[in-house]
Amino acid sequence: MLRRQGTNLPGGRLTGATWKHWILSMARSLPPGLQESCVVAGVEKVDIGFPYYRTSRIKEVKERKQLVKENRKNAELERASRLRTLKLSLDHVQEIWEKTSGPFHIKKMAEHYGVFRDLFPMAHFLPQVPLRICYSQDTSAQVYYGNRLTPTEAASVPQISFEAEEGSLWTLMLTCPDEHLLDNEAEYVHWLVGNIPGGAVQAGEELCHYLPPFPPRGTGFHRYVYVLFKQEGRIDFQEDARPTPCYSLADRSFKTIDFYRKHQDDMTPAGVAFFQSQWDESVTNTFHTTLNMREPVFEFSRPPVYHPPQVKFPHRQPLRYLDRYRDGKEHSYGIY
Amino acid sequence: MAFSVRLLLGQIQRCRPIVAINQTARCLSQAAPQPEPSADENESVNPTFVNRNPRNLELLALAVKERGWKTIWPRREFYHRLEFSRTKNYVTANVFSSSSAVPVLTCSTTEWALKKDLYSTNCVSACEAVGQVLAHRCHQAGITRMVFRTVPWIYRSDAVQSFRTALKEGGITLSEPRRKFVST
Repeated sequence: MLRRQGTNLPGGRLTGATWKHWILSMARSLPPGLQESCVVAGVEKVDIGFPYYRTSRIKEVKERKQLVKENRKNAELERASRLRTLKLSLDHVQEIWEKTSGPFHIKKMAEHYGVFRDLFPMAHFLPQVPLRICYSQDTSAQVYYGNRLTPTEAASVPQISFEAEEGSLWTLMLTCPDEHLLDNEAEYVHWLVGNIPGGAVQAGEELCHYLPPFPPRGTGFHRYVYVLFKQEGRIDFQEDARPTPCYSLADRSFKTIDFYRKHQDDMTPAGVAFFQSQWDESVTNTFHTTLNMREPVFEFSRPPVYHPPQVKFPHRQPLRYLDRYRDGKEHSYGIY
Repeated sequence: MAFSVRLLLGQIQRCRPIVAINQTARCLSQAAPQPEPSADENESVNPTFVNRNPRNLELLALAVKERGWKTIWPRREFYHRLEFSRTKNYVTANVFSSSSAVPVLTCSTTEWALKKDLYSTNCVSACEAVGQVLAHRCHQAGITRMVFRTVPWIYRSDAVQSFRTALKEGGITLSEPRRKFVST
């Protein structure tokens, strides 16, 4: 008597080979991100930032409940809500967001943009210190977490402000992991300031002066990442100090992970902000005048077309099936 | 996905600035030989350039969209998708990317930042507020185009309509650019 490989049991349950076939086809149909999460993760990532301490939850909940109760008693708020005229103040919301769930959202965005993967491989941190970076006097060209700015807007040194207590020392770094013209895994450092006392970046030791962004034409959007490190004491940055002025790209080649490994006992990453930038005319000027080189222009070339592994007896395939595996030699179709 | 490019060696001209009083300004072209004896370090460029930014191809509309799934709803042909859900007490809006199961951006009335200023966390004004704040956050994150798919009887409700208008007034476009197909 022949045994069936798998069965559909009454009640809709699958068994044996049917179950295996179903689960494999289900797993293959999922998008790549979900597929990875289904597979057991190999190496765990290290948390290199400050631990997140919460204030007393009981008190916080009590206070918040009180405020919500007061809101419910407020007749004006109720009328505005009922008549749909209620408008929130976005600045106020932003302020409270920065203190409460801001760091977690910024960390998620940094992971989405691959900032941790490229700058700190196998590590991540929670950016607990909110960084405010403005390129212009008004808030039109501010750096958040992934917004688009032009190299013209980012040409000059920005105004930076962050909460810092008296006597604390910080390091600020601006890198671009996508710009390197020779090595794919390296970055270019655009600005490096160490031993910043309190919140005053001007009073810090400028190890590498500011270089405006220069994304080459045709390469698309590059990420420019600001990382803020909190120092435990004064650090001697003699090895990292670049000569002023530094316009040699070989000198500006940088790897954040090596820089961090050298000083990891004395400093911890505390804040991150990044923006994206594309080519515009000011980049041509940067290449010609500042960097004194010819401007490279690139063109997109898409990856080669995928063909599944060749089979000896391809079922229901046309004669040009063989041409797909002939490695670009003369095709045989079109002559029939 | 890696973004590899070929270096175009076209007719790129450059004028050197006057370095010293004795030297005159010279215009160098690609074809003319380099008169300087020392090789310029900055000039060396890898002919294949790979941009590691995972969002670069999406922004240029060159990234692959998951085609297919045409016999079921919803489709998966997008770069970023917006999901709006109303539960009994709260309103949540999530932005997902095509490659992740975890939302990339969230805005919800469970957050204290919104709860503090609202009368009720699940009414139409709450939906509008969520739309405004999400539009603000999407601009800060650089995601301005996404796809929003709901069933018609939910789409027609006042809550979803006010959420949608709040997003559009915030500057988000609820459609995505068509993918560009480049030969070779």
